[in-house]
Amino acid sequence: MEFATFADRAATIEAEPADLEVVAHVRDLFADAGSDLEIVARFAQGRVFPAWDSTTLDIGPSACYDAIARAAGTNVSGDDVEARLAEVGEIGDVAANYEFGGQQGLGAFTGGSGGNGGDLTVREVHEALADIAAAEGSGSQDRKVDLLFGLFNRCSSEEARYLARIVLSEMRIGVGEGTVRDAIAEAFDVPTDRVERALQVSNDYGQVARIARDEGIEGLDAMELDVGRPVQAMLAQTGTVTDALEEWDEAAVEWKYDGARIQLHHDPSGLAESDGSTVETRVFSRNMEEVTDALPEVVEFAAAHLEEPAILDGEVVAIDEDGSPLPFQEVLKRFRRKHDVAKAREDVSVRPVFFDCLHVGGEDLLAEPLTTRHDRLRSVLVDADADADSVADDEIEGLSLLWQTGDPDEIESIAAEALEAGHEGIMLKNPDSTYSPGRRGKNWRKRKPDVETLDCVVTGAEWGEGRRATFLGTFELAVRAGDDSEERRSAGSAVEPQTLETVGKVATGITDEKLEELTDLLEPHITVAEGQEVELEPAVVFEVGYEEIQSSPTYSSGYALRFPRFVGVRSDKDPEDADSLERLERLHDQ
Amino acid sequence: MFKAIVSAETLTSALDSVSVLVDECKIHLEEDGLEIRAVDPANVGMVDLSLDAAAFESYEADGGLIGVDLSRLEDIAGMADSGQLIQLELDEETRKLHIQIDGLEYTLALIDPDSIRQEPDIPDLDLPAEVVLEGNDVNRSVTAADMVSDHIALGVDETEEYFYVDAEGDTDDVHLELTQDDLIDLQIGPAHSLFSLDYLKDMNKAIPKDTEVTLDLGEEFPVKIYFGFGEGQGQVTYMLAPRIQSD
Repeated sequence: MEFATFADRAATIEAEPADLEVVAHVRDLFADAGSDLEIVARFAQGRVFPAWDSTTLDIGPSACYDAIARAAGTNVSGDDVEARLAEVGEIGDVAANYEFGGQQGLGAFTGGSGGNGGDLTVREVHEALADIAAAEGSGSQDRKVDLLFGLFNRCSSEEARYLARIVLSEMRIGVGEGTVRDAIAEAFDVPTDRVERALQVSNDYGQVARIARDEGIEGLDAMELDVGRPVQAMLAQTGTVTDALEEWDEAAVEWKYDGARIQLHHDPSGLAESDGSTVETRVFSRNMEEVTDALPEVVEFAAAHLEEPAILDGEVVAIDEDGSPLPFQEVLKRFRRKHDVAKAREDVSVRPVFFDCLHVGGEDLLAEPLTTRHDRLRSVLVDADADADSVADDEIEGLSLLWQTGDPDEIESIAAEALEAGHEGIMLKNPDSTYSPGRRGKNWRKRKPDVETLDCVVTGAEWGEGRRATFLGTFELAVRAGDDSEERRSAGSAVEPQTLETVGKVATGITDEKLEELTDLLEPHITVAEGQEVELEPAVVFEVGYEEIQSSPTYSSGYALRFPRFVGVRSDKDPEDADSLERLERLHDQ
Repeated sequence: MFKAIVSAETLTSALDSVSVLVDECKIHLEEDGLEIRAVDPANVGMVDLSLDAAAFESYEADGGLIGVDLSRLEDIAGMADSGQLIQLELDEETRKLHIQIDGLEYTLALIDPDSIRQEPDIPDLDLPAEVVLEGNDVNRSVTAADMVSDHIALGVDETEEYFYVDAEGDTDDVHLELTQDDLIDLQIGPAHSLFSLDYLKDMNKAIPKDTEVTLDLGEEFPVKIYFGFGEGQGQVTYMLAPRIQSD
């Protein structure tokens, strides 16, 4: 398929407001994609690689602006592109406003076809993007820009619009996962639920589309989990004990660990690596990024305890010398670590706790009820030499305990124990539920104790993108620092800007309507505007919720709010009434 | 089979002139010398290099093909002082290149030539104008143009009989004229083309300042830039495609 055709179809899809019509357009796109179906199915969602593949283009926005600038004409710089972006708000529109193709290719002079090698195809775009991803080592950033320049140089304005968006992962043409699923079902006349299942096990929309077309239902049904290839984690929503028991009679109750989600893939006979070698164990984050090298404890755990191929779902928690859990931020220090892992391990050690099991010994367990999966998990983890039936669950290393009960009082006492042991709260799960990758359904619920809110001064913001280009969003929050004495306050002295220390940015929990209101409220207070970022004089106080206060070098206060969420504007409060750094410190130490 | 001894200076010049365009390349190990041809990812600039067996202290090859990571090889060659000799030997079994600089031995893993971009077809161009000048004048032209613009126009004024360089910036312009007297040679013909300085700056880096450089030009045609190195036993030819002049 020519890339121009893809861009044309993408424009049609983007302009279509009705969901059903969008599905129909995507269906037609897939039906016409021919041998490029896999690529087209990914591009439609703005993906270059399958979701399970953690390969990235590893090219920053400014490198992309440089490539656009070079292809755009004489004396256009990356800064010009960035300035236009700040004005227009969306990179696709920026790219589409330039004229490309002025730079000729040598191909035009060798008697070959076309000036720059002919019309750009979807496959050529994909190959060049794969080359960009593969470029590494010294000078690779320049090479990435060269390659991308080569692509933009062959683009029409409309092609450039979608190329820029794919490169920066900002496709946003209204094609979500559900749309692709429905479009595959319609295009190749297969049932939606079979497509859905195939997507869950493979995590590759391109592959599923191709198999649906070429092999039909039988092909889809034959797709299985592949040990070594991550699937999306099943997610939980917040919930209450009352609701859970009302719906299920009995709930499976687990401690909610204050750790980082991991998916362990293990095969004693070896998992193939991209370079042709094999490893026994691979560990992925909940975003399916590979974190194997950062977590040697998990690899060692697998080698010591797992004797058959398995995919396990769990958390890694950081522990102190006594084995008590440490806060989440300690786990994160380990999680993103790429260098000096051994040294980091000396400072903070982690241990895995598993609560679910997706695959054991060649058998997929996604369709089994939770209780069965937990039994299988137990038998995988129990020491092979021990008498499995006589070992207590809490003596099995790496096994998350599970209680099944319909008694609210018992659940409360489990919750109390969890908190006492330093964990976050409890999970309530439907004992009969199957494992649905990527779903934040009602079958898993997390219950955490309520946290307090903070009143923070808004000191900065960023102009949004796309639909939200005319709104301020991503608000920078600060608390008061310095002299907090009664005398000073009663003296009525105003808060100086430099006595405010930042604690984080809040961008979630705000509707478009609310954003418009907040923009009107804050815009008169802009003091400095640079690109998309603005600084605000302290005037407005937000009430924000959060899950935790962690110490962090990112913000000037030395603390950061974890998962900050907008609760409301405290129009009754002035900046001098906002919470103080002192209070933040107290809450953190609690 | 490939075994050669070459001066560090000659090897470095050869590698530098290719690495300004690509990171990896194929090297043809012909009986009578080395051949490298490569084109940048956007197919805008290419290099065609030959280094005659006579440029080496000793040279034995039988027509093999290897793929190399240029920056690696440049780093190794950079370990030698300019007067030093570098010994190269291909191990056919392991597909590795053994490099020896006095007591220093380096074993370089080669790249599968099939994984490297295809070598370009060399355009067979009949360019009407020919400008022969010193590398130093190329450098002055490029440097001056770069001060105001990201593109450079090269041309020949047929009536006044001079070679000129034009660069138009948003506010400032640069114009440079070199007459017959300033040049080593000038063959008059219709010539005016616009080129990206991104490429020309890189190529300029590899052009020795004290060398005779020839530019072949036409109207809206690629420029062909060629010069010798390694005491005349090596030859580099660059070709750079023009930018269409919109106005």
